[in-house]
Amino acid sequence: MRQLKIGTSGIRGVVGDALTPELAVNFACAFGAYCAGGAVVIGRDTRRSSVMLRSAVLSALISSGCEVIDLGVCTTPAVSFAIRHTGAAGGISVTGSHNDARWNALKFIGPDGALLNAANTEELLDIYHAGAFLRVGWSELRRFRLRTDLIADYVEHVAEALACDAVRSRGLRVAVDYCNGAAIEAGQRLLDRMGCEIIPLNDDPSVEFAHPPAPSRTNMRQLAALMRSVPADIGVAINADGDRIGFVLPGGVPLSEEYSLPLAANEALATRSGPVVTNLSTSRMVERVAERHGRTCVRTTVGEGHVMDLALTNGAAVAGEGNGGVAVLPHAATFDALLTLGVVLRTMAARDCTFADLCADIPAMHMHKGEVAVPPDQVYRVLDVFREQYADVEADLTDGVRLEWPDAWLHVRASNTEPLLRVIAEADVAERADTLFDEAMALARRAAMAHGVR
Amino acid sequence: MRQALALKIGVSGVRGIVGDALTPQLVTTFGAAFGTYAGAGPILVGTDTRPSRDMVRHAVMAGLMSVGCIPVDLGIVPVPVLQSHIRRSGAFGGICVTASHNPIEWNALKFFGADGILLRPHEAAELTDLYHQGVFPRIGGTAVAEPRHDDSAIARHREAVLRHIDMDAIRSAGIHVAVDCCNGAAHAATPAFLEQLGCRVTAIYVDPDEPFPHNPEPVPENMTALGQAVLESGADIGFIQDADADRLAIADETGVPLGEESTLAIVVRHVLKRDPGPVVVNVSTSRMLDDICREAGCPLHRTRVGEINVVSRMAEVGARIGGEGNGGVIAPAINPCRDSFVAMAYVLEAMAQEAKSISALRAAIPHYAFIKERIEVSPREVPELLRALRALWGEADLDYTDGIKAIWADRWIQARASNTEPIVRLIAEAPCEADARQMLDAARAVLSRG
Repeated sequence: MRQLKIGTSGIRGVVGDALTPELAVNFACAFGAYCAGGAVVIGRDTRRSSVMLRSAVLSALISSGCEVIDLGVCTTPAVSFAIRHTGAAGGISVTGSHNDARWNALKFIGPDGALLNAANTEELLDIYHAGAFLRVGWSELRRFRLRTDLIADYVEHVAEALACDAVRSRGLRVAVDYCNGAAIEAGQRLLDRMGCEIIPLNDDPSVEFAHPPAPSRTNMRQLAALMRSVPADIGVAINADGDRIGFVLPGGVPLSEEYSLPLAANEALATRSGPVVTNLSTSRMVERVAERHGRTCVRTTVGEGHVMDLALTNGAAVAGEGNGGVAVLPHAATFDALLTLGVVLRTMAARDCTFADLCADIPAMHMHKGEVAVPPDQVYRVLDVFREQYADVEADLTDGVRLEWPDAWLHVRASNTEPLLRVIAEADVAERADTLFDEAMALARRAAMAHGVR
Repeated sequence: MRQALALKIGVSGVRGIVGDALTPQLVTTFGAAFGTYAGAGPILVGTDTRPSRDMVRHAVMAGLMSVGCIPVDLGIVPVPVLQSHIRRSGAFGGICVTASHNPIEWNALKFFGADGILLRPHEAAELTDLYHQGVFPRIGGTAVAEPRHDDSAIARHREAVLRHIDMDAIRSAGIHVAVDCCNGAAHAATPAFLEQLGCRVTAIYVDPDEPFPHNPEPVPENMTALGQAVLESGADIGFIQDADADRLAIADETGVPLGEESTLAIVVRHVLKRDPGPVVVNVSTSRMLDDICREAGCPLHRTRVGEINVVSRMAEVGARIGGEGNGGVIAPAINPCRDSFVAMAYVLEAMAQEAKSISALRAAIPHYAFIKERIEVSPREVPELLRALRALWGEADLDYTDGIKAIWADRWIQARASNTEPIVRLIAEAPCEADARQMLDAARAVLSRG
């Protein structure tokens, strides 16, 4: 099967397979037309294929009459900032984000700095499918501008949002695993600005990823090992384009990436009004934090495009997903790992506490995640089996089947990226989580077998 | 007449109008096709100064990278500089982003093999086959190589050319040169080249970010500014290059254009004096070359129009000098392509060694009236029109090397379809202007009836 996914997270595929420069040219031409030939900001991560896709995107945007503002290697939130800062019509971040090095993607960002929402993505796709591109003559071509200086402006923006001078006196020691990704320059600048002592890991952008870039516990083993021998106040892993973050406790215990959102929310809700927005698969920890601050927690379809669209619409204080992607509003319109890190460091300084103290303040839950191979054409039949099995519980059908009890919840949904059914169960106590998860996995496997064999 | 398409894919490369047929999609896929053809290795990429250069360059590089090539970006460079740098740097091939003498709305890709020579017709056919098959050996994302940059090409080419030239003679002659670089690819290379030869240089139109001040074809109607610069600065000679600096035309010390056919004639006469041997030119080149070769006792070979045809025949017959009458001088021992720098060096060497003014050098060669016209014709009408001309010219010697050429004792006329534009070129040469004009008008009457 060819690996290509088109949706609110942009176009994503395996380079050399479905993701070719021609495809990138066509989508960037569609985006140039979507932006009506206005200014477009571009940035890229450190993947080797990003240089190729950047050239394809650059050529396509220039041919559409766009003035291209190229930030070079930078994070997706830096592209988002630069769009708002320069008043550009949109932006493209060339990054495979959390996917492994074989993958790459184009993330399309609107004038508000947020990923295109579902409706806007549909418009972009209509332009793409119709081939309704702008092709301007030679006299309307604009020279592109290299603006790597905007990365410093982005860091300044984050630093001002955090009022981070208060952190300086704490002199925190921060171990950072950049995964040799795009956040290196901005991360070093921000942490310098916050007076932190940096213990860097995988901070060479010319070297391949040392591990898959998603900030999961498995992928933070190298960072955890480092922290067992080098004392640090906190450890963080940032993915390839700086939109997701994971944390490691001093002494080298990696936390689930589900912690990133509640940690940031616990602080953000203390200073800004508005609800929390997250997706249907994210841990209830953030609900408990929201309740403590007297706020609601609104859940929507999985995917940053959906979550941020709702967050910007309903004036959320903070938004994010259980994968480590967090946006602290109004400072960010995309998930932003460095802003999230800054919020956590500021909290440690303001409360004069350790990172372990902050984590202890988050009500612990017990979560299991699993997956069952299901052919795409069978997924909806398998989901129906869940609806029938749990007919006594009111199901949320926004994205697959989500079932909720006072002490637990279960979410079963089709993966956006692979022919898989994802199963997530969470409960207040471990035994309940174990039972619920085992039951659901067994049911999913039985249903898959029944429907998979014809 | 049917609207002619603004796209030509042929032996001269891929050429089209920006915003019309020359899209980033087309260019990216040709980049991938050429990378497939040349193999996964370093490929030199250079551009002229057209405003579409970045758009085309990045599309080419993306296509090259996708099949495992390493683009080596030379930036803005003259075509002959890029060609000579291919062999020197061990690259697998090269692509120049330039529409040469075409107006500014055009751009093009010229493809060169590992020998630095334009793809031969059968090689170009293989490339277009690869393009049309559309199946490329794409590499995985982790194997993509970042483009390299190489700023050394212009200086290395200058050294290579000047090794073959009597620099001392030119230096001691202290020649004052006015040059019009057309804000083109040679904007920096040419003044540096002339200064290295000890010339006093008056350079106009040397800003690569400004549009072409006139059409880049180095023909008399585009040489008004140069003529003025020669007169105002009191220069001994005026040079004008096209946008990619493969062709050269000359103005004399009074600012008068000598006609682009004079460049090759002056150079060949000079080279044969020292180094007699066979000469190769294309079939459209002035009969001045016949006179010069006869006088020197050297055989003259004529080929189809197109640099690659001339270069190939030169290799076959062992010619040391040759080229195309439109200002393209080829000296394979120095650089196996049309090279305006080689042409400038030889012209200055002739002035210095013979201690003659440029008008005196020109006067030593017989003069003919030489007229070129272009007639817009749909390519599908061309065969019918050529047959009609054959009837018109029936009493002459007919040569079918390229289109149809009718030769009489003291004059000739030729009609051929352009390789680069949807036009038919009519070229007539006769002892005087009226005779040439008469032949042209008769032919034009036949063409417009079609």
